[in-house]
Amino acid sequence: MNRLGHILQIGLAGLAYLLILGPTIVVVIVSFSAGETFAFPPPGLSLRWFVEFFAADNMTGAFLFSLRVGATAAIAATVLATLAARFVVRQRGATSGALQSLFTAPLVFPAIILGLALLLFYRTINVGGPAGLVLAHVLIGMPYAFRLVLASLQSFNLTLEEAAQSLGAGPIRTFFLVTLPIIWPGILSGGLFAFIVSFGELNVALFLTGPGYTTLPIEIFGYLQFPGRQLIIAAASTMQVALIIVLALTIERLVGLARVGRS
Amino acid sequence: MADGAIDVRLENVSKSFDRVQAVREVSIDIPRGEFFSMLGPSGCGKTTTLRIIAGFERPSQGEVYIRGVRVTAVPPYRRDYSMVFQSFALFPHLTVAENVAFGLRMRRVPGAERRRRAQEALDMVKLEELAQRYPRQLSGGQQQRVALARALVVQPAVLLLDEPLGALDKKLREEMQVELRQLQRRLGTTTVFVTHDQEEALTMSDRIAIMRDGVIEQMGPPREVYERPRTEFVASFLGASNFFDARVIERRGAEAAVDLGFGRGVIAHVDAPGTDLRIAVRPEKIMLAPLGAPGTHDARIREIVYRGVTTHIYLDCAGREVIVFLQNTAPQALAWRIGDAVSFAWEAGNAVVLDRV
Amino acid sequence: MPSSLTGFEPAPLGDFLRRASSYALIATPILFFIVFFLGPLLYLFVVSLLEPSKTELYGTRLTLENYERILVDDFYHRIVTRTLLVGSLVTGTALLIAYPVAMAIARMSPRWRILAMIALMFPLMLSNVVRAYGWIAVLGRQGVVNSVLIGVGAIDTPLAMLYSIETVVIGLMTILLPYMIISIANALTSIDRAYSEAAQSLGANPWRTFIHVTLPLSSPGVAAGMQIVFFLTLSAYVTIALLGGPRFSLLVSLVYRSAMAFQWTQAAALAFVLLTVALCVGTLIVLVLRPGRVQGRG
Repeated sequence: MNRLGHILQIGLAGLAYLLILGPTIVVVIVSFSAGETFAFPPPGLSLRWFVEFFAADNMTGAFLFSLRVGATAAIAATVLATLAARFVVRQRGATSGALQSLFTAPLVFPAIILGLALLLFYRTINVGGPAGLVLAHVLIGMPYAFRLVLASLQSFNLTLEEAAQSLGAGPIRTFFLVTLPIIWPGILSGGLFAFIVSFGELNVALFLTGPGYTTLPIEIFGYLQFPGRQLIIAAASTMQVALIIVLALTIERLVGLARVGRS
Repeated sequence: MADGAIDVRLENVSKSFDRVQAVREVSIDIPRGEFFSMLGPSGCGKTTTLRIIAGFERPSQGEVYIRGVRVTAVPPYRRDYSMVFQSFALFPHLTVAENVAFGLRMRRVPGAERRRRAQEALDMVKLEELAQRYPRQLSGGQQQRVALARALVVQPAVLLLDEPLGALDKKLREEMQVELRQLQRRLGTTTVFVTHDQEEALTMSDRIAIMRDGVIEQMGPPREVYERPRTEFVASFLGASNFFDARVIERRGAEAAVDLGFGRGVIAHVDAPGTDLRIAVRPEKIMLAPLGAPGTHDARIREIVYRGVTTHIYLDCAGREVIVFLQNTAPQALAWRIGDAVSFAWEAGNAVVLDRV
Repeated sequence: MPSSLTGFEPAPLGDFLRRASSYALIATPILFFIVFFLGPLLYLFVVSLLEPSKTELYGTRLTLENYERILVDDFYHRIVTRTLLVGSLVTGTALLIAYPVAMAIARMSPRWRILAMIALMFPLMLSNVVRAYGWIAVLGRQGVVNSVLIGVGAIDTPLAMLYSIETVVIGLMTILLPYMIISIANALTSIDRAYSEAAQSLGANPWRTFIHVTLPLSSPGVAAGMQIVFFLTLSAYVTIALLGGPRFSLLVSLVYRSAMAFQWTQAAALAFVLLTVALCVGTLIVLVLRPGRVQGRG
């Protein structure tokens, strides 16, 4: 393409990144405001809204609850994903394709329908509370963990397992002594991703949270529906941004984020 | 057919990437109808030279002409050539017929004529009944023919072939070599062919350029390049060779008597001046003779490798290795044993004097 | 066989147990998906076919009433139409912006390309509520745009930009845009350079090379990106509620409100209408773009 086309593309790319990242950057800047109400640019800088965030019981409660749900769901999703991926990587053709579609289905399935279905299901069998939410987040996080573990198993040389078995190691010792030490970055990244997904998840949590067990995104959503102390939300958002940056950098170090984006 | 017109001309073409010189001052004239091959190891610059003709690379210096028109700064799509790619590059979303018709469509040939000519091109490569298939439904050999039909249907001034047979297995490749050459002769299309396979180049070409480190080492008809290699690289890249240092003792016209270090010999066609020569002798030109015959050299057999059509015999001649290829036609070729003492010799005309580099 | 090391012949029972344990390992995730994914969805479908009940979760009589009500009522027609409109606008504008951006990314050196991709993946990890709040911070009454416009004296009173269909479209489009860019950029970078060179060698100029070769070869990425963006638009209740306001409804809003009002059969039927819309549009995208041509299918 010609030079003009290139310049247009670069300009458009800049605009796209501004639209994608700009609003979040505004939130992060405003969260350090010293002012009483929302103003941009902020009248001065301070950490007062972070202090308020940690002083607000409902906010810290939701934050800690989100951490607990995310961690529990991530561990369970990773274990299930590893079991599934270990089986799928040994299959070919139709079986492999069908199982892969099954385990990645929650990725594209409208989550709001899933939330409704689970709510109704829990009501019928009389289950509820935090456990129901965790189970739902296991389901939502599993596709990510599954893809990452499967990818690392696919690049893992299965002959190594055969070599270990030929030397007398049983399947369990083979897995823990040979396979796991090689593919752990994929497994850990899968777990971190499942955590990230759970930590920001809204559509299922809308249905499955309740008084005393509200996640941070739902708590923020609640605050936003009523005008008022919006700057505490800016602080809450910045907390989330910071946490995600740390986790994303960890995944980048482990397996490379760009590789994750490809799958 | 060959009326003397030059279809492709490269004038002092050089190309560097970053700081690596891929092609250095290459000049080639390819007359109409010629099948011209560029041969060399990977990284020798042959593919870059082809891509310069195609217009995918701009030369750092030098000029490119196609049919007398200077095209150095002309983009690929306005040059009069077509190309068969190593991976074939058949468009996966188009049928065989649509692939073949693509170039005609780009030239805005009307629909009816387009279909007729595409069909003719498919007939020519014997794939008329596969016109509605998609490339992935074809075998490697069939894909290769579609790629060829797609390139030829536009009646290009020049056909460029970038290792088009490399993706095929050995037997199919040999079949395609013959087929491709026959087709090219019939159509009279000037063809530039890039390959790293020396046998393929020898089989197919009117003329071969042997490249190394971006430079053409030697250019000429297959027989000349094979029989009279000018450098050690050419002599060893095209087939195998024995190399000897020879000191001229006496000249008689073009012939010279030389001292080889392990005995005396005679060489014909000595053009080079000086007394210290480097000579090459092809292993199949060396004869084994009874011990002690006049004009022969004594040696001992160190290794015998049976290769079906030929037997390779490795001789130890005063500490240096000499390789001899024997045709397995006569029973004595198979009668030798490791450790046997033999004598060897060659005809004066079969020793080639190399350029001193 | 490792057991031969210890001198035992593999007993048929041991062999059976080993195979059984291998199936037990895969059975756990499959069972989990059946109980907590496929099962509840099937159950939801059954509930959508039951009559409503005032005292129980649902009645016992099978009926198509829940769907009929949606099919005949003009109100629902308007909602479905508006849902399709918002979905098409979000997907369409995202595609128009994403394609050139993806082309620019595909042309970058690998090093820059990775950075560009990471910058796109990062916002996808944030909660959508945070990103929607970002748009409130930009477009709200005291937001960045109003502050700037008042600051330069262009307006005296803040503009009311939130709570409009345009804001919903812009918000959803930018929140989901990274999916589209990543999907298309991955498709573009995986296209072999030989295809566009082949087209050029056959006389296609850059524009025709793009139309006849690059564009069709990128169709798998375009189709995947469009499907993801459209599907996520359909279920983005929180973004729609925050940027569209309490009175702005799409299908997903009705699903949520029916459930909160304990109209379970109604909510179930609406959910399956939403799913049908998703499947129809998803199929339409595949039929139009025919990504299978390139991927070696169909």
